[in-house]
Amino acid sequence: MSNQYVDMGLSAPVNVTWEVTYACNLSCIHCLSDAGLKRSGELTTDQCLAVIDRLAAMKVFQFNIGGGEPFMRPDFLDLMDHAHKKGMVTCISTNGILIDDYVAGRLDNPLVYVQVSLDGATPASNDPIRGTGSFQNVLRALGCLRNRNIEVSVNTVLTRRSFSELDSMTELAAEYGAKLRVSRFRPSGRGKASWSELNVDQQQMLAFSDWLNGHLAVSTGDSFFSVSTEERRSLGLNMCGACKLTCCISPEGNVYPCAFLQDPEFLAGRLPDDDFKDIWQNSPVFHSFRRLEIKSCESCRRFDLCHGGCPAIAYHTQRKLGVPDPGCLANCVSVKPVLKEVRP
Amino acid sequence: MKKRYYLNNGVQVRKEVFGLLFYDYRGPRLYFVPTKNLIANDFFNGTQTAEGLMESIQTRYSQSRQASEQWVTHVLTELEQKGLIHEQSIC
Repeated sequence: MSNQYVDMGLSAPVNVTWEVTYACNLSCIHCLSDAGLKRSGELTTDQCLAVIDRLAAMKVFQFNIGGGEPFMRPDFLDLMDHAHKKGMVTCISTNGILIDDYVAGRLDNPLVYVQVSLDGATPASNDPIRGTGSFQNVLRALGCLRNRNIEVSVNTVLTRRSFSELDSMTELAAEYGAKLRVSRFRPSGRGKASWSELNVDQQQMLAFSDWLNGHLAVSTGDSFFSVSTEERRSLGLNMCGACKLTCCISPEGNVYPCAFLQDPEFLAGRLPDDDFKDIWQNSPVFHSFRRLEIKSCESCRRFDLCHGGCPAIAYHTQRKLGVPDPGCLANCVSVKPVLKEVRP
Repeated sequence: MKKRYYLNNGVQVRKEVFGLLFYDYRGPRLYFVPTKNLIANDFFNGTQTAEGLMESIQTRYSQSRQASEQWVTHVLTELEQKGLIHEQSIC
């Protein structure tokens, strides 16, 4: 990653995480969005189309679409068609329940990536987290997508439960022509309450770092640059991309540094009242985030690989920014105790 | 023979302060190319030939013909090798 060019300031994000609705047909215990019912104030169809038009005009290259469950929006496929007509890539995160052959056909487009969420290699491990029957629904969705020209990945959140099943999940994904993608568990949304129960411990994080080195085809969405080693240096970011390469739009149109920092103090602006370009270029919240330095990490031998790790995890565990990611390899191998999570 | 260059399928480019930012959806991958303001992003729509670009740089920046030709050839070759652009020659 060419940090020097990023630090000069980009005219627009490279990609934008867009949570299009809070509505969801599951109630996963670790949901970062605390999704469930649609909430009042979610952007209308016309407002969503305007968001797409504005970001396309700024030459944002990609949307990372999530929610809630994006397909719960009746207009979702039409919104995606509109984005694709503008040449924008869409990476859609879904639980797969609403994917059938018709939907798969609508998604059959080289501009589409689909990530289907799964948190275990069997119903016994997955369903207690994601809901009864969710495992079988994922397999059914993967079957529909397999026959299409769509880049598909199976996305799992790294937890104490999924940790021992990563190899099995890699094989399962491959059976459906998909890759495994591992996301980091963050204590936001319902994740706050399930953090102590599900978060991996130090030894598991160290073992996971080793496992990643032996599985270079597994992607991490840049969630784990805090534990990246030299072998994976070229595969992604070595720093937090929030406000530099990316940002987040909530279902109501609120703009934040990232999907994991949606506390009121991180509100940078509101669409459609505020102009997205103005938010990106002039928001004090974004300016402050871009200047964020984790001084205590700068002397670390791993600083060039991670630049202090994920600020969101640091914030949610220690209630402040500018402190190290507690899950970094340097912390794991040091004698420092694991920082205790802060109860909501 | 005059050469025009076009973006490969799946590649987009936009102008930044340092030069050009290429996005290749196969990956996806980002490429930061420090061309400053020497190459406009619409160059890759075939709006200008490579030879025209060399002459433009030579004139605008008082560069020698050899220097501008070397620089433009180097940049375009790199971009071709990375699979971002392709050349179409016209006679």
